[in-house]
Amino acid sequence: MENNNNPLSPHLQVYRWHISSLLSITHRIVGIINFLSIITILFLLILIGPDKNFFEIFSRTFIGKFIIISLCWSFSFQILNEIRHLAWDMGYGFNLKVSRITGIATIFGSFVLAILFYFIGKNII
Amino acid sequence: MVQFSLPQNSKILKGKYYKDKSGSTNIKKVNVYRWSPSSKENPRIDTFEINIKECGPKVLDILFKIKNEIDPSLTFRRSCAHGVCGSCAMNVDGVNTLSCIKSHSDIKGDLNIYPLPHLKVVKDLVGDLSTLYKQYESVEPWLKTTAGEKTSVEIQQSQEDRAKLDGYYECILCACCSTSCPSYWWNGEKYLGPAVLLQAYRWITDSRDEERKARLKKVADELKLYRCHTIMNCTNSCPKGLNPAKAIASIKKMLATS
Repeated sequence: MENNNNPLSPHLQVYRWHISSLLSITHRIVGIINFLSIITILFLLILIGPDKNFFEIFSRTFIGKFIIISLCWSFSFQILNEIRHLAWDMGYGFNLKVSRITGIATIFGSFVLAILFYFIGKNII
Repeated sequence: MVQFSLPQNSKILKGKYYKDKSGSTNIKKVNVYRWSPSSKENPRIDTFEINIKECGPKVLDILFKIKNEIDPSLTFRRSCAHGVCGSCAMNVDGVNTLSCIKSHSDIKGDLNIYPLPHLKVVKDLVGDLSTLYKQYESVEPWLKTTAGEKTSVEIQQSQEDRAKLDGYYECILCACCSTSCPSYWWNGEKYLGPAVLLQAYRWITDSRDEERKARLKKVADELKLYRCHTIMNCTNSCPKGLNPAKAIASIKKMLATS
């Protein structure tokens, strides 16, 4: 380009976030977290074997609870948003209103599903 | 390499403050991005106090008021002023739009006006779109057919086939969508971007065109097409209410099913 020394106009700094763009970047971050956490969990299983005690003690600590609940949420979020992406790949849900509604549904749904997963894991439900 | 922050020569400084002289109580503060190639300074934000009572309803009217009454050096593109030509595309209140059809009364608080994002600035609100135009040329946006050689009458199209172009032929190439797309910000040289892909789809889906397969093959590329991650900023910003995200998905679907 000729005017290489010209300034670059502001982008991320000024662009307004929409639900769709916010969910898109969250989907990516959560994807990386899930990918790493699966590897970590599998490694732990290999290292200490199916030692029930370790996981039970871990799940009673505050940090343990926090991590478990966070992972419940991150997996639920990715499952729900991935369904959205599958629908898009089939050509549905591109209408602005529809995509906004499915986006909000994904956010709410992810919390509901996370709580559900947690309680099922705890054998409460 | 993706660079999230602005380069050193693009960091925005605080600029001049133009106080309103009319004494009106109906004042709107308008922050405008300024940069001139003749000065060696960084870009700056000038703030203008505008008497809204004596100004037309659109954002473009404000820009004209500034240019006519306060600072004649303010530079921006405009032509038709009716949302048909696509010249006055800029970032208003954080979203790309045509300033000639955007009402400033819709915007609460101060009005922020920037050029289209992630472009080389030519001057003030004018960005350099030459990359986008080259990419547009690369999809060969014209009818390719041999039918014209065989007959002297027009090539007909059924109403159903014509309807397939609805929502695509209306594109005025204002570049609001492409410059709103984060994928296009990071990969603008290689990724074609929503505007050009929508145009590509417009020709792929045209029943009179005979090079559909070649067109599809040309666009089927990891970088040219599949950098679209359905962020939907394009559809959210299109001032004509079109859906570039859907056009891109349609191309992807055609490639997956053909």
